[in-house]
Amino acid sequence: MDNQKVPKLYTIKNTPKEVLEKWFYLMVIGRAIDDKAPNYLKQAIGWSYHAPYAGHDGIQLAIGQHFEKNKDHIFMYYRDMLTALSCGITPEEVILNGISKATDVSSGGRHMSNHFSKPEWNIHNFSSLTGNHTLHAVGAARALKYYNVDAVSISVQGESSLSEGFVYEAINGADNEELPVIFTVQDNGYGISVPKKDQTANRKVANNFSGFKNTRIIHCNGKDVFDSMNAMAEAKRYALAESKPVILQANCVRMRSHSNSDDHLLYRSEAERNYVVEYDPLAKLRRLLIRYNRFTKEEVAAIEEKAKAGLKTAHKAALKAPDPDPATINDFVLPEAYEAKKYPDGIHNQEGEKKKLITALNETLKAEFRHNPDTFIWGQDMANKDKGGIFNVSKGLQQEFGPKRVFNAPIAEDFIVGTANGMSRHDSKIRIVVEGAEFADYFWPAMEQYVEASHDYWRSNGKFAPNVTIRLASGGYIGGGLYHSQNIEGSLASIPGVRIVYPSFADDAAGLLRVAIRSKGPTIFMEPKALYQDPKAATVVPDDFEVPFGKARVRREGNALSVITYGNTTHMCLEAAEKLAQEGKSLEVIDLRSLVPLDKEAIFNSVKKTNRVLVVHEDKVHGGFGGELAAMVAEEAFEWLDAPVKRVGSIFTPVGFNRILEKAVLPDTDKIYEAAKQLLDY
Amino acid sequence: MAKTGLFYSFNSNKTKLAADKIAAGFGKGNIDMVNAETLTEEEFLAYSNLVLGVPTWFDGELPNYWDEFTPALEGLDLKGKIFAFFGLGDQKGYPENFGDAIGIMAELVEARGGKVIGLTSTEGYTFESSRAVRDGQFLGLLLDQENQARLTKKRIEGWVADIGKVMK
Repeated sequence: MDNQKVPKLYTIKNTPKEVLEKWFYLMVIGRAIDDKAPNYLKQAIGWSYHAPYAGHDGIQLAIGQHFEKNKDHIFMYYRDMLTALSCGITPEEVILNGISKATDVSSGGRHMSNHFSKPEWNIHNFSSLTGNHTLHAVGAARALKYYNVDAVSISVQGESSLSEGFVYEAINGADNEELPVIFTVQDNGYGISVPKKDQTANRKVANNFSGFKNTRIIHCNGKDVFDSMNAMAEAKRYALAESKPVILQANCVRMRSHSNSDDHLLYRSEAERNYVVEYDPLAKLRRLLIRYNRFTKEEVAAIEEKAKAGLKTAHKAALKAPDPDPATINDFVLPEAYEAKKYPDGIHNQEGEKKKLITALNETLKAEFRHNPDTFIWGQDMANKDKGGIFNVSKGLQQEFGPKRVFNAPIAEDFIVGTANGMSRHDSKIRIVVEGAEFADYFWPAMEQYVEASHDYWRSNGKFAPNVTIRLASGGYIGGGLYHSQNIEGSLASIPGVRIVYPSFADDAAGLLRVAIRSKGPTIFMEPKALYQDPKAATVVPDDFEVPFGKARVRREGNALSVITYGNTTHMCLEAAEKLAQEGKSLEVIDLRSLVPLDKEAIFNSVKKTNRVLVVHEDKVHGGFGGELAAMVAEEAFEWLDAPVKRVGSIFTPVGFNRILEKAVLPDTDKIYEAAKQLLDY
Repeated sequence: MAKTGLFYSFNSNKTKLAADKIAAGFGKGNIDMVNAETLTEEEFLAYSNLVLGVPTWFDGELPNYWDEFTPALEGLDLKGKIFAFFGLGDQKGYPENFGDAIGIMAELVEARGGKVIGLTSTEGYTFESSRAVRDGQFLGLLLDQENQARLTKKRIEGWVADIGKVMK
């Protein structure tokens, strides 16, 4: 197949006049807003971030004209004002986003200006992190394919974004899974001030992907309306017909600076600036319309007048719109959690046979997959014959639920998390579980998608939250060393917008997992892997057990000292408490279970009773979550304290591989016992 | 001599300089200078021999004035007409698309019956690929003012002599 063979469906001569009029109107009013945007900043009204699109007109019009709202998915970038208008977003809505009004359909003024979206139409809210939405586009396309929807997922981006590693992951994944994604690359020659030659060796960066087996690469003139329309039509036809990805690279020019915080006079010569302006796509279409007698000069002028009036009306309406209310700042940090009606405190009294923590997780996953047919799971080592997950937590899932719901992911953590986010955008009924990484401390490559997931809900003003549970096998005591033993919850918990749970026992693991999967929004589910098979963590597990978020569990009652802990160290605290009980000291051990949200009430109730607090966790004391707990107690429960709050955790080093070194780093029962004694004696 | 026209953008700089040299080679009164920016079908069809100045823009595109003429060109019958192309390119800065615009124009006129002459050797140029190359030859005269300015005069003189033998 000749990749460049693109039928000429649209020409200046054969395109119906009313279609040309629509296009020209959109282009004129778009350019008028693009040119006017800096004035809003000069007048201190807003639009402090504006990335002008002038020079990208042809391809942006074409992308929007091929997007079918509520059917296709589209993920734009910050230079896509005309794409937005061409998709159907109104001039008033564009300005409302620009000047960050409460009625901005994209984010209600929460996200940056020039980030146009309308999630209710599948024009998704997107990041400023260039190109990271390619992973979302791939995830959305995975849903289109699974649900047999005759639609495409469109990612729009600049050519410099292809230097990002996650864009490679996205294109590789789409190619491998044969997904109908159109990666439209608007090539204007610069990443802010960085020229193409400093990004990659190929001037046509899409050609870097020419070895990909299933991906078609099409090049077009993004400055030309007709070439862009024809190329986009062919890209969509191919993606739909073949269910395969396309990279459509459109050669554009950037007629202005990158944004209003950039000055291209600093790095572009006058000759170059004149050169690109000479190929102004809007001026070109205007000339063509007249030259080929499709419109008279008077008709063109009338359309331009109509656009001018349209802008005036939109401007006036947008200025009257209300500003965001600061009282709403806490709205939409996290969406509603599943209500654990059967077990509102996350406690049960069932008796019977004990199950290991790994069994509890495995059975809960299977139960939830039976409960909701729109549940999916993927990750590295997820499914290959008898292998089901790196630690076999998901063993048997693929056999029961099939390879379309349970499947391996490439070794690409960001891809695993990002495509989960994207797939969940297709329908709010979808629930996704991922093994985010082989071990929790391999999760770092996915951090950008973690951050993304954390603020999707807030940023979209409550319109979208990824319904994703990220399972991570966490912690040490296995002689694993670096990347196999460390805890990362302290770092993750500093970012708002994600629930974080860390069970210690089988029943809590089952109950929390069920609630996490059924809830809206993202949850980090930490699994203390040292306890998977440990009889200490085995409990009776009711089949329908549920543990609500933010409910701690008093694992041992006492009145002399409150020990606040979670994960692996819960068991060590219980052992230390037992040892001290034999010495006549009564310790209360609180297993937090949830770090975010946190059960402050349970902590304060215990402090009021014991007047002494020991915070214990496996993670480092330095910068660990215990610092937040200790500060919170000191700040809000100081009057009940008879002693300073003390912390036990790992020392401030990596975790050593040799068991002797590991023991020297991690907390244990003896260290907890000694710290507790000191506090009791204070 | 059959009516001969030299078509190029009067707004251009480097292309204009080359056009002037070519016109001088043809000799005063033997070739008309026609502005490609305002070109009409009638003007184009009025000539039997057509020398076109087609520089390559961006990553292998026609300049806007030629691109805007292509819808008109697609409706013309060019049988019996003889075409020769010259164009500026940058083999170092744009080695993947060196002189592509000449290839694009040559394909367009050939598809409508025009005959392309003035093919030149690729020897002495270093680039990766070019749409202007067919069977090891350029479909016109490639001029590289960015990297080989000192060769331009000689290249033009040789080429004008060659096409002058056909464009009589």
